Amino acid sequence: MRFDFTPEEKNFKSQLSSFLDDVLPDDWHGPADESRDDHWDLNQDIKKGLAERGWLVMSWPKEYGGSDSSPMMNTIFAEEMAYRRAPGHDRFGTRMFGPTLMRFGTEEQRTKYLGSIARGEIQWCQGYSEPNSGSDLASLQARAVEDGDDFIVTGAKIWTSLAHRADMMFMLVRTDPEARPHKGISLIIVDMKSPGVEVQPIVNMAGVHSFNQVIFDQVRVPKSNLVGDLNDGWRAGMTVLNFERSGIDYAAWARAALEELVDYVNNDDAEVTAAKSDPTVRIKLAELHMEVEAVRLMCYDVSYRQGKGEIPSAEASMSKVAASEVYLKVLDYGVEILGMYGVLEPGSNQAELQGRFFKMRLFYTSGPILAGTNEIQKNIIAQRGLGLPRK
Amino acid sequence: MDFGLTETQELIKASAREFLEEKSDPAIVRAVAEGDSDAIDALWKDIVELGWPSLTISEEHGGAGLSFSDLAVLLEELGASLAPTPLVESSISSWILERFGSDSLKSELLPKIANGEVLITPAIVERDASWDPESTKVAATRSGSNLVITGEKRFVAFAAQATHALTLVRTDNGEPALVVVPIWKADGVEQTPLSHASGVPVSSLSFNELEVAESNIIATGELATQAVDELVAAGGVARSAQLAGLGRAVVDAAVEYTANREQFGVPVGSFQAVQHHLANMAIAAKQVNHLVHAAAWSFSRDGYSVDTAAQAKIAASDKIAELCWTAHQCHGAIGFTWEHDLHLYTRRAMAWKTDYGDSAFHKSKLANAMGL
Repeated sequence: MRFDFTPEEKNFKSQLSSFLDDVLPDDWHGPADESRDDHWDLNQDIKKGLAERGWLVMSWPKEYGGSDSSPMMNTIFAEEMAYRRAPGHDRFGTRMFGPTLMRFGTEEQRTKYLGSIARGEIQWCQGYSEPNSGSDLASLQARAVEDGDDFIVTGAKIWTSLAHRADMMFMLVRTDPEARPHKGISLIIVDMKSPGVEVQPIVNMAGVHSFNQVIFDQVRVPKSNLVGDLNDGWRAGMTVLNFERSGIDYAAWARAALEELVDYVNNDDAEVTAAKSDPTVRIKLAELHMEVEAVRLMCYDVSYRQGKGEIPSAEASMSKVAASEVYLKVLDYGVEILGMYGVLEPGSNQAELQGRFFKMRLFYTSGPILAGTNEIQKNIIAQRGLGLPRK
Repeated sequence: MDFGLTETQELIKASAREFLEEKSDPAIVRAVAEGDSDAIDALWKDIVELGWPSLTISEEHGGAGLSFSDLAVLLEELGASLAPTPLVESSISSWILERFGSDSLKSELLPKIANGEVLITPAIVERDASWDPESTKVAATRSGSNLVITGEKRFVAFAAQATHALTLVRTDNGEPALVVVPIWKADGVEQTPLSHASGVPVSSLSFNELEVAESNIIATGELATQAVDELVAAGGVARSAQLAGLGRAVVDAAVEYTANREQFGVPVGSFQAVQHHLANMAIAAKQVNHLVHAAAWSFSRDGYSVDTAAQAKIAASDKIAELCWTAHQCHGAIGFTWEHDLHLYTRRAMAWKTDYGDSAFHKSKLANAMGL
């Protein structure tokens, strides 16, 4: 039992923190809106800076340009990036698709793509969900038909984050419609500039264009872009999701938001003075502080177990559920503390905290929905973690 | 970060589990709740033989010199078995005595705590049910080299078994003093037993011109306040460790029940509505477990983290009690009966929730630590 970081971990965290001090604008509050060109430029600058310092793919094995960093180090990295609301942490390439290629990709694919991911040159996006396949992903219908040396891909992907900024997509397609759902799926790489690919923006309830629908109309994809075996894409595709499911981002965002609220109620210039004099506010903020620390420890525990070689599937689901919910509790309370100001939109005159809390509350409604809804995660916890029977 | 148990801790856990399975089964828990004090004495005698009261006492004073984390691991098992025994009371008292007591008092009492001759229980709370040292009113006047104490302490656990109480009084000059008071068959001490949800003996203690040697004072003034703050924090973490174990046991019981109870031809635990209750319970139990370990780890012979200690007690108080109520829902009608053991856990959780500062008390402490 030891609840402290090693000197090496502390040192890394402080180096990363000073890098972010340098590279983030002085008045940076985040979060980044990647449909804004200035924020996207910042994303690219930070990504390159991280790559130059060897941090972007530090989780990778040495042979692919990484430094084989421990799961705990990777968590510290993700936590600090999220705590600062810094853009530039390329999860799709570095945390999801890169490791999948290392395990399932051909030599040629690894040579072709891993280097560019490590240098922060190529933006990837993830083509999994479809209009009719959300939680029940294995029912996906986007079709890839063999035609000589190519596949012809037709169908639609949806909720695709950063498709409007991406160069490449890794995508699940149905290659054998006769087989059972999980058996007829393949994982392929698609160049987003291919003829027949159309990216249609979807604006979310916070007014932000962060995800898209992507239409594939007879898109020609070379067979050399198949990752893993034909019709064995489910296995490769699920590897990605294990990297996706962690609560550390939410835990760090929640901590940052909570600290902003504590500063706000302590700030003599704050317009909402009632928050300062109301004793229930300090009690509620203390409760949220406990909740934030609890989910933070859950995320560290997942990394600790991964570091020992375990695959803590139920624990990862627990951390995702708890952290995404706690983050919303903090944001809800922020909006509540701000009272009448709480519902002023960003950019409004007389907004407090730049209208950030209301917008974040709307935006992160997605937390309990994306990357496997919290309801699906709870099924995983009950069935894989507690051993309850499947119905 | 290391969330694993040390070899010593694994050993403590395994041996405690084995011992408690036999010596603290539900029949014994029920017997004690119904007033069987011989059962308490028998269990405590065995526990003393196992050396548990001496676990965190320094080797210099006849103890094993283990850490607060080691104690927490043991207390989790006590909590899981609802063991009706004053180990928290004894351990916390010896911890505070060791941290704040004079050398002579330590040399006199600690070896006797270790060998079971002395059992000290904290007696801090008064009529207003507050764990804040500021609210102490029980008066002590100086008479020669003695203190003469008059007033009432309430909610004293295992006062009927204890030889001494660790109590906070207010002296003539208005300063607080933390004193070890002999209470076993003492003149001037009257016990009023309470009927308490914990199912273990809890009493009020009336002191009527009780004479205690000044040398029994552990700390006075600012230092006494500091000692009581630490006593409440350490006691809170210790209770939270028990609550963590209790919570784990209740989750296990609910999983076991719902995986086997069939309706509509299938186990009720296969229904999503039930699974989600259990997933929420498992999350709560894990959170409390982590916070307790982090808080226990912060305690050393030099101090502790006010922040984490408060977090542990807030989480344990609120989350474990809620978890128990949800477990009743998962058990359906059988869990609503007197015969089923589940309410023993729920009663204990509700009682422990109030001990060593409730959730509201610790939220206020935590808010202070946050600069609010």
